[in-house]
Amino acid sequence: MIELLERFYALPSSLSASPILAIGLTLSAFFAGNWLFRRMGSPLWLPPVVLSAFLLSATIALLSLDYTRYQQGAQWLMLLLGPATVALGIPLYQQMHHVRALWRPILCTLPVAATLAAVYAVVIAWALGATPLVLASLAPKSVTAPIAIGITEQLGGSVPLMMGGLLVTGVVATLFVDLLSRVLSITDDRILGFALGLNGHAVGTARAFEISRTAGAFASLGMGLTGVFTALILPLAFRLW
Amino acid sequence: MSMLRGFLTLVLCFMLGEALRLVFLIPVSGGVLGMILMTFTLMLKGSVSDDLAAASQGLISVLVLLIMPGVVGVFFSADQFSGQWLAVAGALLVGTFLSVLTTLLLMASLVRAGQRRKSDD
Repeated sequence: MIELLERFYALPSSLSASPILAIGLTLSAFFAGNWLFRRMGSPLWLPPVVLSAFLLSATIALLSLDYTRYQQGAQWLMLLLGPATVALGIPLYQQMHHVRALWRPILCTLPVAATLAAVYAVVIAWALGATPLVLASLAPKSVTAPIAIGITEQLGGSVPLMMGGLLVTGVVATLFVDLLSRVLSITDDRILGFALGLNGHAVGTARAFEISRTAGAFASLGMGLTGVFTALILPLAFRLW
Repeated sequence: MSMLRGFLTLVLCFMLGEALRLVFLIPVSGGVLGMILMTFTLMLKGSVSDDLAAASQGLISVLVLLIMPGVVGVFFSADQFSGQWLAVAGALLVGTFLSVLTTLLLMASLVRAGQRRKSDD
């Protein structure tokens, strides 16, 4: 009887020998987070990914699973990030015709604003005494997650810290766009959408689709262009620095 | 089947990006290089096949699932960054405020300038 119980309590660690436990837990947290998000009335300040991550971390801690063990199993899911990043090229192509409608403002704003998004963060963190590891993790904070993971790996930053920063950025960028557009009385959906996608990546883009289809299209475009631009510039800039 | 065919295109494009990165020592991830190749190819071709659209929609809709293992890490490596949290919070909050402000002002003034140019013509 006691042996049976011992084997029962050892289940989490015995099961985590295979990646299937990590995959099962991640999938369950993904669906539970989405369900909870809808139950809470889809709050803007708490995207489903944050809810899912909370649930998943709590489960890992409760089962007292080894985090590095989990991470090894979850590598099987992360493997798909490469092809998923390539997949982002398809919506980017589909939104490209919007560039033609407003090419001068977009092509002038993009390099300046995308560069400054990284520069502001790095300079402020540096002035407050952040280590180079933290600086490298904060630099891609406005870039959509799959691209940002690639950038952080190139810069030698910490992927977990970068992901945390990325989510906070997405949420506060959404709040700041709502606030500042009212203060500056900007009502053009194309401008709001572009600012949401450029600064707030996927979280901002989700908000933009709530404003209107036009705002959503410009947000997708802003997110895609910022990702490509930052991915090309940031590793070069860090190498020169 | 059709979704798998689209998936194959994405995997091949990713591998091509990785190959370019490794051979030419480009400091950009293979995924981003593959994405740029994909966008340019589609712009030249002028259309997206149904297979590719299905596969990309499928993958994009589960992106959150794929990034979650990375997000979870922040809870388990928090003590690694003790003493840095003020810098992190300052950079995220003030930095994002400034970059949103910059984007809105720049974009709004450029759009207005464009409209003025159009009405002058």
